[in-house]
Amino acid sequence: MNKIFQYECRRLMSSRFFAGLLLVVLVYGWQVLTEVTILGAAHTAPFSPWSFGDYISRMLPLLWAGTQLFLTAFLSPKARRTEALTDVLQDSCILYALVRQSAVLAGTAVLALAVFGEGLVFYGLYFHWYEWRTLLSPFFLVLMPGLVFGLGSGWFLGQLKSWLVYGWMFMPFLWRILPLPDAFGLLSGTFFSQYPLTLEKLDPEFTVPGVNLLVQAGLLAGGAVFSLQGKNRRRNQK
Amino acid sequence: MEIRMENVSMIYPNGKEALRQVSLDMASPSLTGLLGPNGAGKSTLIKLLAGALLPTSGSIQVEGEPFPKGRKRVKENLGYLPQEFGLFDELTVTQFLDYMAALKGLRCPQASIQEAIEAVNLMDKAKTRIGALSGGQRQRVGIAQALLGSPQLMIFDEPTVGLDPEERIHFRNLFSQTAQNRLILLSTHIIEDVQAVCDQLLVMNHGRILFAGKPEQLIQKAEGHVGLFWEKEILDAEGLQITSRVNTSRGIRCRGVAEVLPPGARTEEPSLEDAYLYLISREETR
Repeated sequence: MNKIFQYECRRLMSSRFFAGLLLVVLVYGWQVLTEVTILGAAHTAPFSPWSFGDYISRMLPLLWAGTQLFLTAFLSPKARRTEALTDVLQDSCILYALVRQSAVLAGTAVLALAVFGEGLVFYGLYFHWYEWRTLLSPFFLVLMPGLVFGLGSGWFLGQLKSWLVYGWMFMPFLWRILPLPDAFGLLSGTFFSQYPLTLEKLDPEFTVPGVNLLVQAGLLAGGAVFSLQGKNRRRNQK
Repeated sequence: MEIRMENVSMIYPNGKEALRQVSLDMASPSLTGLLGPNGAGKSTLIKLLAGALLPTSGSIQVEGEPFPKGRKRVKENLGYLPQEFGLFDELTVTQFLDYMAALKGLRCPQASIQEAIEAVNLMDKAKTRIGALSGGQRQRVGIAQALLGSPQLMIFDEPTVGLDPEERIHFRNLFSQTAQNRLILLSTHIIEDVQAVCDQLLVMNHGRILFAGKPEQLIQKAEGHVGLFWEKEILDAEGLQITSRVNTSRGIRCRGVAEVLPPGARTEEPSLEDAYLYLISREETR
């Protein structure tokens, strides 16, 4: 399955579409960094984990949309026609589906790393600040559960109806508008701008309450469960 | 390779009964033609044999092992070209075949890929992206992936659609050569292809097998039911299937098949096409 993974990554990432998406992410990211992050989130330094987390959570909707767009490479009606050839050859439908989802995850990871790298370039250029290890916690805490959930749920919905993926693309934009409970703050982006204020310290140390961690763990598990669903659903359909 | 189907029925979730109590035996070496009108159940039969569908009832045995246990054996020895399929436009022909070889579990597939590319005459397009190929060339890529690894069972559903006559002849000769030590099932609407290469024939209609045997046996069944006559003589003839019309100075000369030929018709030697039409029209009349 290694070779399949490599080819699927090549299919996703060697296209002009991927390059265009990367460019959009970088342009938007730079805009967020130079106009919002530079001011610092919740009165913290622009290079604090809080400000960086705010930047990452603002990028999450775009990265989520990227994940859903990658999924369409496998779930669109045109892409599905290839399943007529591939479905009869696999040993394991689930393994094949997971390999293809891994390729989507790899594509999303490249975009996410570009976002991370852009943040580092910004901090280096503007503040000569290079302590990037402190930024890993907010980066993984926000993106990993959010994007794994986006991948799994998008895959599941796309198996039901391919057009659902296009609708699901806009979900994180909706989350940023809806008044979600604080426990979902890492997903909606409110956590980084509101929680530090409740700590009543100047530049507080980066901590995350258990309830938020629980929600993130739930998203991660939910994404994994969705990923494993619906592989044989079409077996007896025309 | 031996395949046995016993009382296989297939009902889709939408309630459509595509196959009704189908039983058949197939063994290599053989090139079996599968004929039938649209909606006869040919593609469903093919999908069941390829393991792309599971039957609603009945059993399918491969080398004596029942499905789905025997599915792994089929998968290892299967070359399958469905009627409708997609390809990865972003990959080159060689890359796509390498991808399919990996799915088939072929180790060191380079020689097999090269062989398949040569068999379908795509040597000059081996490094071309599939998105840049014509319809006929894409069809040839589809055939090439079915040939990968020289499988013992090959199933082709309308393989020559979109190919020009020269390519069609090339491929039917290729199927014939390949069938020397394999089992090939060839579903097509082009009776000429079946007549040219198939040693066995299955005719389906309404989800049932109407005929299974040698093409000559089907032709024999139509003897005395094919005739030549003038169109003006058969205005009220019932159950008559006209297979050709030729304008002449004396009027329109027709060739047709019927259970009872019109009076004055001159009996002709049936072709496979006549025999097929006779069988289908007789079934429809019943």
